[in-house]
Amino acid sequence: MVNPEISSLEKRIQQSPSKTELNTQEYFVNMGPQHPSTHGVLRLVLRMDGETVQDIIPVLGYIHRGIEKKSESVGYRQQVHLTDRLDYLCSLMNNWGVSAAIEKAMNIELNDRIETVRTIVAELQRIQSHQLWWGVFGMDLGAFTPFLYGFRDREKITAIFEETIGARLTMNYFQPGGMMYDIHPDFVQKVKEFIKYFRPILKEYEDLFSGNIIVQERLRNVGIIDGKTALAYGATGPVLRASGIPYDLRKIEPYGVYSKVQFEVPVGKVGDCWDRYQVRMQEMQESLKIIEQLIDNIPEGKHMVMKFGAKIRPPAGRFYSQIETARGVFGTFFVSDTTDKPYRMHFRTPNFHNLWSVLKMAPGGRVADLVAILSSIDVVVPDMDR
Amino acid sequence: MGLITDQMPPMIEAFPGGPAFLTSLDSIINWARSSSLWPLTFGTSCCAIEVMMAAGAAHHDLARFGAEVARPSPRQADLLVLAGTIVKRMEPRLRTLYDQMAEPKYVIATGACAISGGPFIYNSYSTVRGAHEIIPVDVYVPGCPPRPEAFFYGLLTLQKMIREGETIRKPNERRKPVLANLPPGLTLEQLRKEMIQNLESHSVTKFSDKPTGGF
Repeated sequence: MVNPEISSLEKRIQQSPSKTELNTQEYFVNMGPQHPSTHGVLRLVLRMDGETVQDIIPVLGYIHRGIEKKSESVGYRQQVHLTDRLDYLCSLMNNWGVSAAIEKAMNIELNDRIETVRTIVAELQRIQSHQLWWGVFGMDLGAFTPFLYGFRDREKITAIFEETIGARLTMNYFQPGGMMYDIHPDFVQKVKEFIKYFRPILKEYEDLFSGNIIVQERLRNVGIIDGKTALAYGATGPVLRASGIPYDLRKIEPYGVYSKVQFEVPVGKVGDCWDRYQVRMQEMQESLKIIEQLIDNIPEGKHMVMKFGAKIRPPAGRFYSQIETARGVFGTFFVSDTTDKPYRMHFRTPNFHNLWSVLKMAPGGRVADLVAILSSIDVVVPDMDR
Repeated sequence: MGLITDQMPPMIEAFPGGPAFLTSLDSIINWARSSSLWPLTFGTSCCAIEVMMAAGAAHHDLARFGAEVARPSPRQADLLVLAGTIVKRMEPRLRTLYDQMAEPKYVIATGACAISGGPFIYNSYSTVRGAHEIIPVDVYVPGCPPRPEAFFYGLLTLQKMIREGETIRKPNERRKPVLANLPPGLTLEQLRKEMIQNLESHSVTKFSDKPTGGF
């Protein structure tokens, strides 16, 4: 029996025109699903000429768990915890995206305390996600020290979350109508201590990694994508901003209390790996700024405006809501038929759309460049496959 | 190990004092196997981050248990740490990875998804309900995802099993899988004390009287 997957690849081999004048032979290489630098079970089929990547065919589905379909049978309230497992490094922001869509549909007015705490916690998680990215980015380029440093500082934020939320990774903290619990009494003090601790550490990150000549050589002018192409491919988040387009939902369509705080949207110029690196490093600074402005005056109020455990029955219709996670725009679309279970639920996940920009970035480069590119767009595979 | 485990025991047992020699050889081999596990990095989803926190990061340091040499290639590894959901498309790949590993090989399945399908046990058309449907599992570590301490508890359980279980006279004998659940009411301090005791009792070097760093 012929494997349909292999036979389609063979067709691609036969159809692909040989562009080189030298007497070379094109060949295909499988990268993944078991590969240390694809960050999970992403599979890329590379059409290679020597060590130069000619073409990339991403093959998805190795961690497709059917979260969208499952949402239709578990209902709105139980569904929120499944969004933790989409992009597990931004689990709180995914919770927020779904909760915001349901709140928008049901016209639920949130008080200032909920909005402020949500903003602070989401920014903390943005820093946490970028710390992990920084560590893994270094390890993919062959430097092991960033991994140790990034994870050391990630543990500090994890400890803060564990105190308030009770979980370390899959939090399930934001619910439609508020938060599961109020913040821990020590929360404010711990966050202040963290900001004090992390400011000099960020400079240490720069000293350790950014100035290194090997890092610069491997990142500058590698994986260039211009703003127009990035937009056309649907890239968002740091990938798009590094190409020079200041598209950040926190500024353009402010949600939470982002309209009340001062912060800047870092953008790049060239759109190469170096710009994506710099944008994320500056985003950590901006997130610290946002938290600093909010942490001193968290308003009083309830942490939940809905009755706990109340059935969620949005009015009939189609609803869409989107927020900016650490990797880009996370959108939630659902169709309601006035029961407590959605008729259809769909997530517009940032990683799925960011991945396709690789098709424009990698051809012409080497395999080692592809590793740097994949790491610089910061892929999380379960978020693509859902 | 074919020579030592298959051909040597019957030859040596014939000599006077041979069985005693074999028994002590057993304990040496099992000690060596249990204290130098090389894990295969196989992370499919969320649990991989917590295993990374446990294995690579400085706060929880897997090197203390002799299992820090994580290898991405199955041919160089002897411990498959199964971190995350297995879906039907990944199933044959996981089986291939397991088959490529050299004997003796051990499997730790971490997280609810690898035990039973976890949150995806109902109403999911693509998830495999537990790793035992594909490969034999030695130790299950429950949690969604398990804390690094829980993962260590699972690893210590596996080390204990290797030291007691597999002998050179009965190679490849597998026990039933064990659920390494942190007992209820156990505090982190008690767990740390047990880990230190375990490390001290099985180490070749002497510890100082007062462990400075603790955990």
